[in-house]
Amino acid sequence: MLAAEVGGQRRFEVEAETVAAALKSLPVSNLVFDERGELRRLVNVYVDGVDVRDSGGIDRPLCGDEEIRLIGAIAGG
Amino acid sequence: MPRILVGTRKGLFVLTPDNGGPWRVSGPHLKGWEVFHAVADPRDGAVYAATNSFVYGATVHRSEDGGETWTRAEEIGLPEDTGLTLEKTWHVEPGRPGEEGRLWLGGAPGVLFRTDDSGKTWQPIDGVVRHPTREKWNPGAGGMCCHSIQLDPDDPQRMYIAISAAGAFRSEDGGETWEPANQGVAADFFPDNPFPDVGQCVHKLLLHPADPARLWQQNHCGVYRSDDHGRSWERLEGNGLPSGFGFPIALDPADPDTAFVIPEEGAENRVTNDGRLGVYRTRDRGASWELASKGLPQPAWCAVLREAASFDEGGVYFGTQSGSVFVTCDGGESWTEAASQLPPILSVEAADWQ
Repeated sequence: MLAAEVGGQRRFEVEAETVAAALKSLPVSNLVFDERGELRRLVNVYVDGVDVRDSGGIDRPLCGDEEIRLIGAIAGG
Repeated sequence: MPRILVGTRKGLFVLTPDNGGPWRVSGPHLKGWEVFHAVADPRDGAVYAATNSFVYGATVHRSEDGGETWTRAEEIGLPEDTGLTLEKTWHVEPGRPGEEGRLWLGGAPGVLFRTDDSGKTWQPIDGVVRHPTREKWNPGAGGMCCHSIQLDPDDPQRMYIAISAAGAFRSEDGGETWEPANQGVAADFFPDNPFPDVGQCVHKLLLHPADPARLWQQNHCGVYRSDDHGRSWERLEGNGLPSGFGFPIALDPADPDTAFVIPEEGAENRVTNDGRLGVYRTRDRGASWELASKGLPQPAWCAVLREAASFDEGGVYFGTQSGSVFVTCDGGESWTEAASQLPPILSVEAADWQ
């Protein structure tokens, strides 16, 4: 769904200080964050394969080349 | 014949008439999104969809090419000091002719927005978001949704909204301030005070385009008509309706005395009465109702949601949660199935565009 919102593009290269800043620079940021700037509860963020909620949170700094993946939670019907 | 925009749990479908043959079904557009309502703006043909995702939240999409490509609202949300956050978008209502770029959006929790830039940014309407009676409002089963927005075609300052379960409200100043418009409308679920100022569970409210003093509403507690801009309401069921409970209502633009409802058994069993998918029609302002179901399947245990009926000069259109769309072009004398086996249908809207 996120890719469909940006014409099918699935990968972005951005420079940012933190995970949150990287995600907020994306054209889908208002789908990833709510109007308070909070990460939506069912959006999962992985930095180099590790769930960011378990490793410093969304505001943790980025260093060097890191890959962030956005995955919708496996819920719903 | 118009096209029909069909919002479903799994995207948007477009039904196109095919010269007397079966309707052509295209889509789904907006894959993955629940389309609570979609409408074509008669001023420029743009399609707007109130879209919701359990992962990515609530927003509005806009298409200028009949649904092939879409852009999404850039700014939509509620003021932080209200403590409210946008839960769902429910209904998009295009502004009047000449109000370029203006549309209205109803959502949950009981909120109204306006855009003046064709859906790029949506501004919350303080008079609703901070309404002094808000603490008396309660969510219905579908959330506290602002689902009905009606603009008076004769008075650019007068408009109406309806929220479940807060009731109907009228503005005489272009949406700045809102007066409850619920006199005579029952809230039977409040046994100590069945006629409160607010808190009624309106399911759908419509204004008659040719006689804008006349409003109709299908409520949790009956079907109602107002002849005085919603200042007072008359309860109408009992003369031919099997139940006062239902969700959608449709009108005949050529006749302010005609309306169509699709009753369900009741609040605790939200399905067709005895398996009869019955459209009931009045031609005398609700004094009497007659079954107008020729061509509809029987038996059919199904339900039609509040946004899932529409009308225009050419007919009445509705869709079921079981994924069928039915059309009448002769005022309800006969119905045909325009589509079947779609995902559960949330909304139906007739749409004219080239």
